[in-house]
Amino acid sequence: MIDAPHSALLCEITKHAATTPDKVALVDGDCAVTYSQLLDHVRQAACFMQTKGLKHGDRIVLTAQKELPFVYDYLAAHLLGVVNVVVDAASPRDRLDSIIGVVKPAAIFGNGTPDITDIPCYDFQKQDSTCGAALELPRLTADDVADVMFTTGTTGAPKGVCLSHANIAGSAGNTNGFIGMTDHEVEALALPLSHSFGLGRLRCVLMAGSTLVLVSNFANLKSFFTVLDSYHATGFGMVPAVWQYIKRLSGRRIARFADQIRYIEIGSAPLPIEDKRLLLEIFPNTRLCMHYGLTEASRAMFSEFHANVDNLETVGRPASPLVEACVLDEEGNALADGVDGEICISGNMVTRSYFNPDDNKASFHGKWFRTGDWGHRGSDGNFYLTGRKKELINVGGEKVSPATIEDAICSLGYIADCACIAVPDANGVLGEVPKAYLVPKGERVDIEVIKGELAHLLPPHELPVQWEWIDRIPRTASGKIQRLKLKQ
Amino acid sequence: MESQVKEIIARVLNIPLDKVTDDLSSGDIPEWDSVGNLAIISTIEQELELEFPLEDLFDLTSVLSIVEEVKKLTND
Repeated sequence: MIDAPHSALLCEITKHAATTPDKVALVDGDCAVTYSQLLDHVRQAACFMQTKGLKHGDRIVLTAQKELPFVYDYLAAHLLGVVNVVVDAASPRDRLDSIIGVVKPAAIFGNGTPDITDIPCYDFQKQDSTCGAALELPRLTADDVADVMFTTGTTGAPKGVCLSHANIAGSAGNTNGFIGMTDHEVEALALPLSHSFGLGRLRCVLMAGSTLVLVSNFANLKSFFTVLDSYHATGFGMVPAVWQYIKRLSGRRIARFADQIRYIEIGSAPLPIEDKRLLLEIFPNTRLCMHYGLTEASRAMFSEFHANVDNLETVGRPASPLVEACVLDEEGNALADGVDGEICISGNMVTRSYFNPDDNKASFHGKWFRTGDWGHRGSDGNFYLTGRKKELINVGGEKVSPATIEDAICSLGYIADCACIAVPDANGVLGEVPKAYLVPKGERVDIEVIKGELAHLLPPHELPVQWEWIDRIPRTASGKIQRLKLKQ
Repeated sequence: MESQVKEIIARVLNIPLDKVTDDLSSGDIPEWDSVGNLAIISTIEQELELEFPLEDLFDLTSVLSIVEEVKKLTND
Protein backbone atom coordinates (compact mmCIF):
# COMPACT_ATOMS: atom_id res chain seq x y z
CA MET A 1 0.00 0.00 0.00
CA ILE A 2 0.96 3.59 -0.54
CA ASP A 3 -0.47 6.22 1.73
CA ALA A 4 -0.64 9.46 -0.23
CA PRO A 5 -3.88 11.24 0.61
CA HIS A 6 -2.57 14.44 -1.00
CA SER A 7 -2.48 12.82 -4.44
CA ALA A 8 -5.78 11.60 -5.85
CA LEU A 9 -3.78 10.17 -8.75
CA LEU A 10 -1.65 7.97 -6.46
CA CYS A 11 -4.73 7.06 -4.43
CA GLU A 12 -6.49 5.81 -7.55
CA ILE A 13 -3.43 3.83 -8.69
CA THR A 14 -3.20 2.29 -5.20
CA LYS A 15 -6.86 1.38 -5.39
CA HIS A 16 -6.39 -0.27 -8.79
CA ALA A 17 -3.36 -2.16 -7.46
CA ALA A 18 -5.55 -3.51 -4.67
CA THR A 19 -8.65 -4.34 -6.69
CA THR A 20 -7.10 -5.35 -10.04
CA PRO A 21 -3.44 -6.10 -9.20
CA ASP A 22 -2.80 -8.12 -12.36
CA LYS A 23 -4.37 -5.66 -14.74
CA VAL A 24 -1.78 -4.23 -17.14
CA ALA A 25 -1.22 -0.52 -16.50
CA LEU A 26 1.59 0.22 -18.93
CA VAL A 27 3.13 -1.41 -21.97
CA ASP A 28 6.46 -0.40 -23.47
CA GLY A 29 7.64 -2.69 -26.27
CA ASP A 30 7.87 -6.21 -24.87
CA CYS A 31 7.47 -5.07 -21.28
CA ALA A 32 4.04 -5.02 -19.64
CA VAL A 33 3.66 -3.65 -16.11
CA THR A 34 0.63 -4.46 -13.96
CA TYR A 35 -0.90 -2.02 -11.48
CA SER A 36 0.62 -4.01 -8.64
CA GLN A 37 4.07 -3.89 -10.26
CA LEU A 38 3.64 -0.20 -11.06
CA LEU A 39 3.12 0.56 -7.41
CA ASP A 40 6.24 -1.44 -6.47
CA HIS A 41 8.30 0.43 -9.05
CA VAL A 42 7.02 3.78 -7.77
CA ARG A 43 7.92 2.77 -4.22
CA GLN A 44 11.42 1.70 -5.32
CA ALA A 45 11.96 4.91 -7.24
CA ALA A 46 10.82 6.93 -4.22
CA CYS A 47 13.21 4.94 -2.06
CA PHE A 48 16.05 5.72 -4.48
CA MET A 49 15.22 9.42 -4.38
CA GLN A 50 15.03 9.37 -0.60
CA THR A 51 18.46 7.72 -0.27
CA LYS A 52 19.83 10.48 -2.48
CA GLY A 53 18.56 13.01 0.03
CA LEU A 54 15.62 14.32 -1.99
CA LYS A 55 12.81 15.56 0.17
CA HIS A 56 9.53 17.49 0.25
CA GLY A 57 9.89 20.85 -1.46
CA ASP A 58 12.95 19.91 -3.51
CA ARG A 59 12.65 20.24 -7.24
CA ILE A 60 13.92 17.76 -9.78
CA VAL A 61 14.25 18.25 -13.52
CA LEU A 62 12.75 15.19 -15.18
CA THR A 63 13.60 14.85 -18.85
CA ALA A 64 10.54 13.32 -20.45
CA GLN A 65 11.45 10.23 -22.41
CA LYS A 66 8.67 7.89 -23.31
CA GLU A 67 9.77 4.96 -21.22
CA LEU A 68 8.66 3.25 -18.06
CA PRO A 69 11.29 4.63 -15.62
CA PHE A 70 10.09 8.14 -16.46
CA VAL A 71 6.61 7.20 -15.20
CA TYR A 72 8.05 5.60 -12.03
CA ASP A 73 10.17 8.65 -11.21
CA TYR A 74 7.36 11.05 -12.05
CA LEU A 75 4.97 9.34 -9.63
CA ALA A 76 7.67 8.71 -7.01
CA ALA A 77 8.31 12.44 -6.80
CA HIS A 78 4.59 13.00 -6.20
CA LEU A 79 4.71 10.48 -3.38
CA LEU A 80 7.60 12.26 -1.66
CA GLY A 81 6.37 15.78 -2.27
CA VAL A 82 9.32 16.41 -4.58
CA VAL A 83 8.30 18.78 -7.39
CA ASN A 84 8.69 17.52 -10.95
CA VAL A 85 9.94 20.01 -13.50
CA VAL A 86 9.13 18.11 -16.68
CA VAL A 87 11.17 19.10 -19.72
CA ASP A 88 11.49 17.77 -23.24
CA ALA A 89 14.46 15.41 -23.51
CA ALA A 90 15.33 17.11 -26.79
CA SER A 91 15.27 20.66 -25.37
CA PRO A 92 18.01 22.88 -26.73
CA ARG A 93 20.77 23.29 -24.15
CA ASP A 94 20.18 27.02 -23.64
CA ARG A 95 16.49 26.42 -22.84
CA LEU A 96 17.43 23.67 -20.40
CA ASP A 97 20.08 25.91 -18.82
CA SER A 98 17.56 28.71 -18.48
CA ILE A 99 15.03 26.42 -16.76
CA ILE A 100 17.72 25.01 -14.46
CA GLY A 101 18.80 28.54 -13.60
CA VAL A 102 15.25 29.44 -12.62
CA VAL A 103 14.15 26.35 -10.68
CA LYS A 104 17.52 25.44 -9.15
CA PRO A 105 16.82 21.69 -9.07
CA ALA A 106 18.27 19.38 -6.42
CA ALA A 107 18.80 16.71 -9.10
CA ILE A 108 18.22 15.88 -12.74
CA PHE A 109 16.69 12.58 -13.85
CA GLY A 110 16.67 11.17 -17.36
CA ASN A 111 18.67 9.35 -19.97
CA GLY A 112 21.83 10.95 -21.24
CA THR A 113 21.40 13.70 -18.70
CA PRO A 114 23.46 16.79 -19.48
CA ASP A 115 26.89 17.28 -18.06
CA ILE A 116 26.19 19.75 -15.28
CA THR A 117 28.84 19.50 -12.64
CA ASP A 118 27.17 21.06 -9.64
CA ILE A 119 23.83 19.18 -9.84
CA PRO A 120 23.56 15.41 -9.30
CA CYS A 121 22.31 13.68 -12.47
CA TYR A 122 20.72 10.23 -12.36
CA ASP A 123 20.25 8.10 -15.41
CA PHE A 124 16.90 6.29 -15.62
CA GLN A 125 18.58 2.95 -16.28
CA LYS A 126 21.18 3.18 -13.55
CA GLN A 127 18.94 3.65 -10.56
CA ASP A 128 19.15 1.02 -7.86
CA SER A 129 15.90 -0.95 -8.11
CA THR A 130 16.40 -2.99 -4.95
CA CYS A 131 16.19 -0.23 -2.41
CA GLY A 132 14.93 -1.64 0.87
CA ALA A 133 14.82 1.39 3.12
CA ALA A 134 11.49 2.38 4.66
CA LEU A 135 9.83 5.37 3.09
CA GLU A 136 9.40 8.40 5.29
CA LEU A 137 6.47 10.24 3.82
CA PRO A 138 5.89 13.86 4.75
CA ARG A 139 2.44 15.32 5.40
CA LEU A 140 1.30 17.02 2.25
CA THR A 141 -1.88 18.60 1.03
CA ALA A 142 -3.59 18.44 -2.33
CA ASP A 143 -2.62 22.10 -2.84
CA ASP A 144 1.11 21.33 -2.66
CA VAL A 145 2.82 21.80 -6.02
CA ALA A 146 3.22 18.51 -7.90
CA ASP A 147 4.60 19.62 -11.26
CA VAL A 148 6.08 22.69 -12.87
CA MET A 149 5.54 22.78 -16.62
CA PHE A 150 7.30 25.43 -18.68
CA THR A 151 5.34 27.14 -21.44
CA THR A 152 6.37 29.64 -24.04
CA GLY A 153 5.86 33.20 -22.84
CA THR A 154 5.14 35.98 -25.32
CA THR A 155 8.47 37.59 -24.54
CA GLY A 156 10.26 34.37 -25.39
CA ALA A 157 11.31 33.61 -21.82
CA PRO A 158 9.72 30.32 -20.69
CA LYS A 159 7.16 30.63 -17.88
CA GLY A 160 6.92 27.93 -15.22
CA VAL A 161 3.33 26.89 -14.46
CA CYS A 162 2.88 25.42 -10.98
CA LEU A 163 0.30 22.63 -10.92
CA SER A 164 -0.85 21.21 -7.60
CA HIS A 165 -1.80 17.59 -6.92
CA ALA A 166 -5.41 18.79 -6.92
CA ASN A 167 -4.93 20.51 -10.30
CA ILE A 168 -3.57 17.47 -12.13
CA ALA A 169 -6.08 15.07 -10.63
CA GLY A 170 -8.85 17.59 -11.26
CA SER A 171 -7.95 17.86 -14.93
CA ALA A 172 -7.81 14.06 -15.31
CA GLY A 173 -11.15 13.65 -13.53
CA ASN A 174 -12.83 16.33 -15.67
CA THR A 175 -11.42 14.80 -18.86
CA ASN A 176 -12.30 11.21 -17.98
CA GLY A 177 -15.80 12.28 -17.07
CA PHE A 178 -16.33 14.08 -20.36
CA ILE A 179 -14.80 11.36 -22.53
CA GLY A 180 -16.55 8.61 -20.59
CA MET A 181 -13.36 6.67 -19.83
CA THR A 182 -13.89 3.28 -18.24
CA ASP A 183 -11.43 0.91 -16.60
CA HIS A 184 -11.28 -1.32 -19.66
CA GLU A 185 -9.80 1.09 -22.16
CA VAL A 186 -6.54 0.42 -23.96
CA GLU A 187 -4.96 3.65 -25.14
CA ALA A 188 -2.09 4.07 -27.61
CA LEU A 189 0.01 7.06 -26.53
CA ALA A 190 2.13 8.51 -29.32
CA LEU A 191 2.03 12.10 -28.02
CA PRO A 192 5.15 13.41 -26.27
CA LEU A 193 5.14 13.13 -22.46
CA SER A 194 6.93 16.46 -22.14
CA HIS A 195 3.77 18.31 -23.11
CA SER A 196 0.72 18.94 -21.01
CA PHE A 197 -1.46 16.95 -23.47
CA GLY A 198 0.59 13.72 -23.50
CA LEU A 199 1.35 13.79 -19.78
CA GLY A 200 -2.33 14.44 -19.15
CA ARG A 201 -3.28 11.34 -21.18
CA LEU A 202 -0.94 9.26 -19.00
CA ARG A 203 -2.68 10.52 -15.86
CA CYS A 204 -6.17 10.03 -17.32
CA VAL A 205 -5.50 6.38 -18.19
CA LEU A 206 -3.91 5.58 -14.81
CA MET A 207 -6.69 7.37 -12.92
CA ALA A 208 -9.24 5.30 -14.82
CA GLY A 209 -7.43 2.02 -14.16
CA SER A 210 -7.02 1.33 -17.87
CA THR A 211 -4.03 0.28 -19.96
CA LEU A 212 -1.61 2.66 -21.71
CA VAL A 213 0.60 1.44 -24.55
CA LEU A 214 3.61 3.70 -25.13
CA VAL A 215 4.40 4.37 -28.81
CA SER A 216 7.50 6.42 -29.69
CA ASN A 217 5.62 8.93 -31.90
CA PHE A 218 3.34 9.13 -34.93
CA ALA A 219 6.15 9.22 -37.51
CA ASN A 220 5.88 5.52 -38.32
CA LEU A 221 2.15 5.16 -38.91
CA LYS A 222 2.58 1.52 -39.82
CA SER A 223 3.87 0.86 -36.28
CA PHE A 224 1.08 2.97 -34.77
CA PHE A 225 -1.56 1.01 -36.70
CA THR A 226 0.09 -2.26 -35.67
CA VAL A 227 -0.24 -1.19 -32.02
CA LEU A 228 -3.92 -0.29 -32.54
CA ASP A 229 -4.39 -3.71 -34.07
CA SER A 230 -2.39 -5.95 -31.77
CA TYR A 231 -3.55 -4.36 -28.49
CA HIS A 232 -7.06 -3.78 -29.78
CA ALA A 233 -6.72 -0.16 -28.66
CA THR A 234 -9.92 1.69 -27.80
CA GLY A 235 -8.59 5.24 -27.84
CA PHE A 236 -5.78 7.68 -28.54
CA GLY A 237 -4.97 11.38 -28.42
CA MET A 238 -3.69 13.51 -31.27
CA VAL A 239 -3.01 17.11 -32.25
CA PRO A 240 -4.47 18.50 -35.52
CA ALA A 241 -1.05 18.33 -37.24
CA VAL A 242 -1.00 14.58 -36.60
CA TRP A 243 -4.41 14.23 -38.23
CA GLN A 244 -3.09 16.03 -41.33
CA TYR A 245 -0.13 13.65 -41.28
CA ILE A 246 -2.35 10.58 -40.94
CA LYS A 247 -4.48 11.77 -43.87
CA ARG A 248 -1.50 12.59 -46.05
CA LEU A 249 0.43 9.38 -45.46
CA SER A 250 -2.26 6.81 -44.97
CA GLY A 251 -5.37 8.15 -46.68
CA ARG A 252 -8.39 6.48 -45.08
CA ARG A 253 -6.57 3.38 -43.83
CA ILE A 254 -7.39 4.38 -40.24
CA ALA A 255 -11.08 3.78 -40.99
CA ARG A 256 -10.60 0.07 -40.43
CA PHE A 257 -10.20 0.79 -36.70
CA ALA A 258 -13.45 2.77 -36.51
CA ASP A 259 -15.38 -0.02 -34.79
CA GLN A 260 -12.83 -0.50 -32.02
CA ILE A 261 -11.85 3.13 -31.28
CA ARG A 262 -14.28 4.39 -28.62
CA TYR A 263 -12.69 7.82 -28.17
CA ILE A 264 -10.16 10.21 -29.67
CA GLU A 265 -9.05 13.26 -27.73
CA ILE A 266 -7.90 16.13 -29.92
CA GLY A 267 -6.34 19.41 -28.83
CA SER A 268 -3.50 21.97 -28.73
CA ALA A 269 -4.43 23.79 -31.95
CA PRO A 270 -7.52 24.53 -34.06
CA LEU A 271 -8.84 21.81 -36.39
CA PRO A 272 -10.46 22.92 -39.66
CA ILE A 273 -14.21 22.25 -39.93
CA GLU A 274 -13.74 20.01 -42.99
CA ASP A 275 -11.47 17.77 -40.93
CA LYS A 276 -14.06 17.58 -38.16
CA ARG A 277 -16.58 16.48 -40.80
CA LEU A 278 -14.17 13.89 -42.16
CA LEU A 279 -13.58 12.49 -38.68
CA LEU A 280 -17.36 12.31 -38.13
CA GLU A 281 -17.66 10.32 -41.34
CA ILE A 282 -14.76 7.96 -40.65
CA PHE A 283 -15.62 7.44 -36.97
CA PRO A 284 -19.43 7.36 -36.77
CA ASN A 285 -19.51 5.70 -33.35
CA THR A 286 -16.41 7.19 -31.71
CA ARG A 287 -16.49 9.98 -29.13
CA LEU A 288 -14.51 12.71 -30.90
CA CYS A 289 -13.59 14.99 -28.00
CA MET A 290 -11.76 18.20 -28.76
CA HIS A 291 -10.45 20.13 -25.81
CA TYR A 292 -9.74 23.79 -25.45
CA GLY A 293 -7.28 24.77 -22.79
CA LEU A 294 -3.70 25.59 -21.98
CA THR A 295 -1.14 24.31 -19.51
CA GLU A 296 -2.37 26.82 -16.92
CA ALA A 297 -6.00 25.67 -17.31
CA SER A 298 -5.75 22.21 -18.78
CA ARG A 299 -8.76 20.86 -20.69
CA ALA A 300 -10.95 23.79 -19.67
CA MET A 301 -13.63 23.13 -22.27
CA PHE A 302 -14.67 20.25 -24.47
CA SER A 303 -16.72 19.81 -27.58
CA GLU A 304 -17.78 16.37 -28.84
CA PHE A 305 -18.25 16.50 -32.60
CA HIS A 306 -21.21 14.10 -32.89
CA ALA A 307 -23.09 16.06 -30.22
CA ASN A 308 -22.32 19.34 -32.02
CA VAL A 309 -22.65 18.17 -35.58
CA ASP A 310 -24.51 21.35 -36.59
CA ASN A 311 -22.21 23.58 -34.60
CA LEU A 312 -18.64 22.48 -35.24
CA GLU A 313 -17.27 26.03 -34.83
CA THR A 314 -17.59 26.01 -31.06
CA VAL A 315 -14.79 25.12 -28.65
CA GLY A 316 -17.55 23.79 -26.42
CA ARG A 317 -18.45 24.28 -22.80
CA PRO A 318 -16.65 23.88 -19.49
CA ALA A 319 -15.32 20.34 -19.11
CA SER A 320 -17.24 19.57 -15.92
CA PRO A 321 -19.44 21.21 -13.27
CA LEU A 322 -16.18 21.97 -11.44
CA VAL A 323 -15.02 24.31 -14.22
CA GLU A 324 -16.38 27.75 -15.08
CA ALA A 325 -15.68 29.95 -18.08
CA CYS A 326 -16.62 33.56 -18.76
CA VAL A 327 -15.76 36.46 -21.03
CA LEU A 328 -14.27 39.58 -19.44
CA ASP A 329 -13.12 42.98 -20.68
CA GLU A 330 -9.67 44.45 -19.97
CA GLU A 331 -10.80 45.67 -16.53
CA GLY A 332 -12.22 42.30 -15.57
CA ASN A 333 -15.90 43.17 -16.08
CA ALA A 334 -18.20 40.43 -17.34
CA LEU A 335 -19.42 40.85 -20.90
CA ALA A 336 -22.82 39.88 -22.27
CA ASP A 337 -23.35 36.84 -24.48
CA GLY A 338 -22.25 37.49 -28.02
CA VAL A 339 -19.76 40.22 -27.07
CA ASP A 340 -16.10 39.49 -27.72
CA GLY A 341 -13.65 39.75 -24.86
CA GLU A 342 -11.00 37.65 -23.15
CA ILE A 343 -11.95 34.06 -22.34
CA CYS A 344 -11.27 33.48 -18.63
CA ILE A 345 -11.35 30.20 -16.73
CA SER A 346 -11.78 29.13 -13.14
CA GLY A 347 -11.84 25.60 -11.79
CA ASN A 348 -10.18 22.70 -10.05
CA MET A 349 -7.44 22.35 -12.68
CA VAL A 350 -6.46 26.05 -12.93
CA THR A 351 -2.98 26.95 -11.67
CA ARG A 352 -2.81 29.23 -8.66
CA SER A 353 0.54 30.71 -9.55
CA TYR A 354 3.43 30.78 -11.94
CA PHE A 355 6.79 29.71 -10.59
CA ASN A 356 7.84 33.32 -10.75
CA PRO A 357 5.00 35.20 -8.98
CA ASP A 358 5.81 38.29 -11.07
CA ASP A 359 4.23 36.43 -14.00
CA ASN A 360 0.89 36.34 -12.13
CA LYS A 361 0.34 40.08 -12.41
CA ALA A 362 -1.37 40.21 -15.78
CA SER A 363 -2.64 36.64 -15.67
CA PHE A 364 -5.59 36.75 -13.30
CA HIS A 365 -8.76 38.77 -12.67
CA GLY A 366 -9.46 37.58 -9.12
CA LYS A 367 -10.25 33.86 -9.37
CA TRP A 368 -10.34 34.00 -13.17
CA PHE A 369 -7.30 32.91 -15.17
CA ARG A 370 -6.87 35.03 -18.29
CA THR A 371 -6.23 32.79 -21.29
CA GLY A 372 -5.16 35.53 -23.68
CA ASP A 373 -7.67 34.12 -26.18
CA TRP A 374 -10.39 36.33 -27.60
CA GLY A 375 -13.94 35.14 -28.06
CA HIS A 376 -17.51 35.14 -26.78
CA ARG A 377 -20.18 32.96 -25.30
CA GLY A 378 -23.09 32.32 -27.61
CA SER A 379 -26.71 32.41 -26.54
CA ASP A 380 -26.57 28.59 -26.71
CA GLY A 381 -24.06 28.60 -23.84
CA ASN A 382 -21.21 27.42 -26.06
CA PHE A 383 -17.97 29.36 -26.37
CA TYR A 384 -16.48 30.60 -29.63
CA LEU A 385 -12.91 31.75 -30.27
CA THR A 386 -12.42 34.71 -32.56
CA GLY A 387 -8.77 35.58 -32.13
CA ARG A 388 -5.71 35.42 -30.03
CA LYS A 389 -4.43 38.21 -27.90
CA LYS A 390 -1.11 36.58 -27.31
CA GLU A 391 1.20 36.66 -30.28
CA LEU A 392 2.42 33.08 -30.12
CA ILE A 393 2.79 31.05 -33.31
CA ASN A 394 1.15 27.63 -33.04
CA VAL A 395 3.35 25.28 -35.10
CA GLY A 396 1.50 21.98 -35.11
CA GLY A 397 0.63 22.41 -31.41
CA GLU A 398 4.10 23.71 -30.41
CA LYS A 399 3.76 27.29 -29.20
CA VAL A 400 6.55 29.48 -30.50
CA SER A 401 7.30 33.01 -29.38
CA PRO A 402 8.11 35.35 -32.30
CA ALA A 403 10.51 37.15 -29.95
CA THR A 404 12.63 34.02 -29.57
CA ILE A 405 13.09 33.75 -33.33
CA GLU A 406 13.69 37.49 -33.73
CA ASP A 407 16.35 37.49 -31.00
CA ALA A 408 18.11 34.53 -32.63
CA ILE A 409 18.09 36.12 -36.09
CA CYS A 410 19.30 39.49 -34.77
CA SER A 411 22.08 37.78 -32.79
CA LEU A 412 23.64 36.64 -36.09
CA GLY A 413 24.54 40.28 -36.83
CA TYR A 414 23.60 40.22 -40.56
CA ILE A 415 20.50 42.39 -40.44
CA ALA A 416 19.35 45.75 -39.09
CA ASP A 417 15.94 44.63 -37.78
CA CYS A 418 13.48 41.79 -38.08
CA ALA A 419 10.02 40.61 -37.08
CA CYS A 420 8.24 37.27 -37.20
CA ILE A 421 4.56 36.46 -37.63
CA ALA A 422 2.44 33.35 -38.07
CA VAL A 423 1.41 32.42 -41.60
CA PRO A 424 -0.67 29.42 -42.72
CA ASP A 425 1.40 26.30 -43.48
CA ALA A 426 1.34 25.95 -47.26
CA ASN A 427 1.50 22.16 -46.86
CA GLY A 428 -1.69 22.24 -44.81
CA VAL A 429 -0.14 20.15 -42.04
CA LEU A 430 1.18 22.32 -39.24
CA GLY A 431 -1.57 24.95 -39.15
CA GLU A 432 0.80 27.87 -38.67
CA VAL A 433 4.48 28.34 -39.46
CA PRO A 434 6.79 31.31 -38.76
CA LYS A 435 7.51 33.91 -41.41
CA ALA A 436 10.44 36.30 -40.94
CA TYR A 437 10.66 39.86 -42.26
CA LEU A 438 14.20 41.16 -42.51
CA VAL A 439 15.57 44.68 -42.83
CA PRO A 440 19.01 44.61 -44.50
CA LYS A 441 22.08 46.07 -42.85
CA GLY A 442 23.77 47.45 -45.96
CA GLU A 443 23.99 44.67 -48.52
CA ARG A 444 21.52 41.78 -48.30
CA VAL A 445 23.00 38.56 -47.00
CA ASP A 446 22.02 35.29 -48.70
CA ILE A 447 18.98 33.92 -46.81
CA GLU A 448 20.51 30.44 -47.03
CA VAL A 449 23.44 31.65 -44.91
CA ILE A 450 21.04 32.96 -42.26
CA LYS A 451 18.98 29.74 -42.37
CA GLY A 452 22.10 27.61 -42.00
CA GLU A 453 23.35 29.47 -38.95
CA LEU A 454 19.92 29.72 -37.40
CA ALA A 455 19.56 25.93 -37.50
CA HIS A 456 22.23 25.78 -34.78
CA LEU A 457 20.33 28.19 -32.54
CA LEU A 458 16.71 27.09 -32.81
CA PRO A 459 14.85 23.76 -32.85
CA PRO A 460 13.41 22.83 -36.29
CA HIS A 461 9.83 23.91 -35.54
CA GLU A 462 11.01 27.43 -34.65
CA LEU A 463 12.84 27.99 -37.95
CA PRO A 464 11.01 30.41 -40.28
CA VAL A 465 9.56 28.76 -43.37
CA GLN A 466 9.01 32.00 -45.30
CA TRP A 467 11.38 34.96 -45.57
CA GLU A 468 10.92 38.44 -46.95
CA TRP A 469 13.12 41.53 -47.15
CA ILE A 470 11.42 44.83 -46.28
CA ASP A 471 12.60 48.40 -45.79
CA ARG A 472 11.46 48.78 -42.20
CA ILE A 473 9.55 46.92 -39.50
CA PRO A 474 6.32 48.73 -38.53
CA ARG A 475 6.58 49.67 -34.85
CA THR A 476 4.52 51.69 -32.38
CA ALA A 477 5.90 54.87 -30.84
CA SER A 478 7.11 52.80 -27.91
CA GLY A 479 8.94 50.45 -30.28
CA LYS A 480 6.55 47.49 -30.16
CA ILE A 481 6.31 45.53 -33.41
CA GLN A 482 2.95 45.99 -35.15
CA ARG A 483 2.50 42.43 -36.31
CA LEU A 484 -1.04 42.98 -37.57
CA LYS A 485 0.31 45.46 -40.12
CA LEU A 486 2.76 42.83 -41.34
CA LYS A 487 -0.09 40.34 -41.72
CA GLN A 488 -2.01 42.83 -43.82
CA MET B 1 21.44 7.52 -55.62
CA GLU B 2 21.58 5.66 -52.32
CA SER B 3 24.22 7.99 -50.93
CA GLN B 4 22.26 11.04 -52.11
CA VAL B 5 19.11 9.85 -50.31
CA LYS B 6 21.05 9.12 -47.13
CA GLU B 7 22.75 12.51 -47.28
CA ILE B 8 19.36 14.23 -47.56
CA ILE B 9 17.97 12.27 -44.60
CA ALA B 10 21.00 13.16 -42.47
CA ARG B 11 20.80 16.82 -43.46
CA VAL B 12 17.04 17.15 -42.94
CA LEU B 13 17.11 15.42 -39.55
CA ASN B 14 20.34 17.19 -38.59
CA ILE B 15 22.05 13.94 -37.58
CA PRO B 16 25.48 12.51 -38.53
CA LEU B 17 25.53 10.58 -41.81
CA ASP B 18 26.83 7.43 -40.10
CA LYS B 19 23.60 7.23 -38.08
CA VAL B 20 21.62 6.87 -41.30
CA THR B 21 21.80 3.08 -41.55
CA ASP B 22 19.54 0.97 -43.79
CA ASP B 23 17.44 -0.26 -40.90
CA LEU B 24 16.93 3.15 -39.24
CA SER B 25 13.18 3.72 -39.20
CA SER B 26 10.89 6.65 -38.62
CA GLY B 27 10.14 6.94 -34.92
CA ASP B 28 13.45 5.24 -33.92
CA ILE B 29 15.07 8.53 -32.97
CA PRO B 30 13.44 11.72 -31.66
CA GLU B 31 14.62 13.68 -34.71
CA TRP B 32 12.66 11.40 -37.07
CA ASP B 33 9.17 12.40 -35.94
CA SER B 34 6.18 13.09 -38.16
CA VAL B 35 7.41 16.59 -39.06
CA GLY B 36 10.89 15.20 -39.85
CA ASN B 37 9.31 12.48 -41.97
CA LEU B 38 7.34 15.00 -44.03
CA ALA B 39 10.47 17.12 -44.44
CA ILE B 40 12.40 14.08 -45.73
CA ILE B 41 9.67 13.27 -48.25
CA SER B 42 9.33 16.82 -49.56
CA THR B 43 13.11 17.45 -49.71
CA ILE B 44 13.72 14.24 -51.66
CA GLU B 45 10.85 15.08 -54.03
CA GLN B 46 12.22 18.58 -54.56
CA GLU B 47 15.93 17.84 -54.87
CA LEU B 48 15.65 14.61 -56.85
CA GLU B 49 12.77 15.96 -58.94
CA LEU B 50 10.40 13.07 -58.38
CA GLU B 51 7.03 12.48 -56.78
CA PHE B 52 6.23 9.62 -54.45
CA PRO B 53 2.89 7.99 -55.36
CA LEU B 54 0.40 8.65 -52.55
CA GLU B 55 -0.32 4.96 -52.07
CA ASP B 56 3.39 4.28 -51.43
CA LEU B 57 3.93 6.94 -48.73
CA PHE B 58 2.50 4.71 -46.00
CA ASP B 59 5.20 2.10 -46.61
CA LEU B 60 8.17 4.49 -46.57
CA THR B 61 9.07 3.80 -42.97
CA SER B 62 12.82 3.12 -43.09
CA VAL B 63 15.96 4.36 -44.81
CA LEU B 64 16.05 1.19 -46.88
CA SER B 65 12.42 1.48 -47.99
CA ILE B 66 12.96 5.10 -49.06
CA VAL B 67 16.15 4.22 -50.95
CA GLU B 68 14.38 1.32 -52.72
CA GLU B 69 11.42 3.55 -53.62
CA VAL B 70 13.67 6.26 -55.04
CA LYS B 71 15.55 3.64 -57.07
CA LYS B 72 12.25 2.33 -58.42
CA LEU B 73 11.03 5.80 -59.36
CA THR B 74 14.28 6.80 -61.04
CA ASN B 75 14.88 3.40 -62.67
CA ASP B 76 18.26 3.37 -60.96
